Amino acid sequence: MDGSALAALGFAALFVLLFIRVPVGAALLIVGAAGIHAIRPQASLPVLAGEIFAESSSYALTILPLFILMGNLAGISGMSRDLYAAAHSWLGHFRGGLASASIVGCAGFSALSGSSLAAALTMGRVSLPEMKRFNYADSLSTGAIAAGGTLGILIPPSAGFVIYAILTEVSIGRLFIAGVVPGILLTLMFVLTVWLVVARDPSKAPRSLQPEPLKARFAATLKATWIIAIVVVTIGGIYAGVFSAVEAAGIGAMLAFAACVLRRGLTRDGAAEAVGSTLKATGTAFFILFGAFVFKTFVGFTGVAFALAEWVESAGLTGMHVVLAVLVAFMILGTFLEGFAMLVLTIPLIQPVLESQGIDMVWFGVLIVIVLEMALISPPVGLNVFVVKGIATDVPINTIFRGIVPFWLAMLATLALVLLFPGLTLFLPNSMFG
Amino acid sequence: MPGGGAQRFLSGAQGRLDKHSQLIAALGGAALVALVAVTVVAVFWRYILNSPIFGIEDVSTMTLTVVVAASVAYGAHKQAHVGVNIIGFAFSRRVTRVTDLAARTLTFAIAAIAGYALFAKGSCGLPCGHITSNLAIPHPPFYFVLGAAMLSYAAVLLFQIAIGIANWTGEDPNEMRG
Repeated sequence: MDGSALAALGFAALFVLLFIRVPVGAALLIVGAAGIHAIRPQASLPVLAGEIFAESSSYALTILPLFILMGNLAGISGMSRDLYAAAHSWLGHFRGGLASASIVGCAGFSALSGSSLAAALTMGRVSLPEMKRFNYADSLSTGAIAAGGTLGILIPPSAGFVIYAILTEVSIGRLFIAGVVPGILLTLMFVLTVWLVVARDPSKAPRSLQPEPLKARFAATLKATWIIAIVVVTIGGIYAGVFSAVEAAGIGAMLAFAACVLRRGLTRDGAAEAVGSTLKATGTAFFILFGAFVFKTFVGFTGVAFALAEWVESAGLTGMHVVLAVLVAFMILGTFLEGFAMLVLTIPLIQPVLESQGIDMVWFGVLIVIVLEMALISPPVGLNVFVVKGIATDVPINTIFRGIVPFWLAMLATLALVLLFPGLTLFLPNSMFG
Repeated sequence: MPGGGAQRFLSGAQGRLDKHSQLIAALGGAALVALVAVTVVAVFWRYILNSPIFGIEDVSTMTLTVVVAASVAYGAHKQAHVGVNIIGFAFSRRVTRVTDLAARTLTFAIAAIAGYALFAKGSCGLPCGHITSNLAIPHPPFYFVLGAAMLSYAAVLLFQIAIGIANWTGEDPNEMRG
């Protein structure tokens, strides 16, 4: 059997395994190890052990548990409540202001946590009861939280960027900085979406608050100083070249711990919860990475990626055609596949094709992460939707999905902007790294 | 539902796995704190004292292997390793109890093989050049920790297979939801 046929068989086997609920990492390990065994039997066990050890001892990957810990400590410290209060004081008096405040709160929390699920969960717990109190439509409040939470994997630090960077060997720092402008742009698009939804149907946000005095707004912002300081030190430190991304993660985790202690937010149960959540998220990500790299080695052995690159060239397709095809494929895959699974399944196959077409892998990484965000709220398996459903137990899942539609369209518009104007993504990293 | 003897055996096994998971969480938590401390110390010495510590990255990476090993094992205990649940929407429990058994058996097999492979590769030790590049920290203990984590995952899966069979006609408490 030639390499391309073996690769096709491998992908088919992978989909069957995923369909019968084999965990993503295990499915990749099974197909990768079996595929390598079929090509070079003596290499399969050493590659299996070697890749697991290599990923577990990768200095660049130190960033993952550190940033995850930072986000979890921020979650238990009560800083998220202060952040929401600050956003609330500035935006609460506008029509749909509480939903906008939730989105801005999610964006702020995303700058501390690389996880979309954590952002939706933390901010949802704080803001959903408030929106309910002011009779916001369930579709608007839950849609805003589910969509706002997705900012977690676009605004740095982002677990999505880390996984993508490790798979493609692109600089993590460059990707983080590249995510800043699209992250802010998407936040503004979400706020605009809330405004449009409420303008079209004012009954969705029937009551507004009285504007708070300027003094109260600044006081609320001052209370959120911890979060702002940590973001400035970590992300600002990377941008200014003071820290590497790994060092920023370590400093960020330490500052988040200090904030917990100083704010008296660190209880024994809270600490256990933060450590447990960090271990679970780290284990999930690394197990998928083990599988991804064994699978990547198998794909490399088959030579299918280069065969694909040659086919693309002979078919006269341009880089933009390939990028568009991949984005559309990701939108479809995103309706039933988990985000990281999509990344690790496709990147080894398409990276050589994209590079041979001269596509900037940082720009492409940002595009892909935006599509992964769309997957997080796409039916039927949009994870963020289930997180929000877990908090808003009385809201039917269909109502949440209905509320998400305008935000999904906002993401599509942002994707189009980033696609058409690569400078939005590349300006900051190019100005910093050259 | 399983009979009295089987029920007692499974409850006992569950208790042992719970204790095991607490131990793993404690080890992982300690390694996590150490990883933060090593990173902060490295930054402090480099930027504040202007005196980089030679080989500190080796300490970081070996600490990371312990964090990862604990995370993978703890994630297995807490069912954190994500899968895709399409079949649950499309088919009844009559089908999923069979596919779940197949999925767990395959996952058990790969986890056990990976554990074996890590022990085998780690056992080669120094003759295979398994040391860190700066401080020459030997790799074998860390291969073994990772191997133990994979075997721990395999043990959890074996337990889930037993629970699944014991609850063949009823609800499986470990079935993927959502």
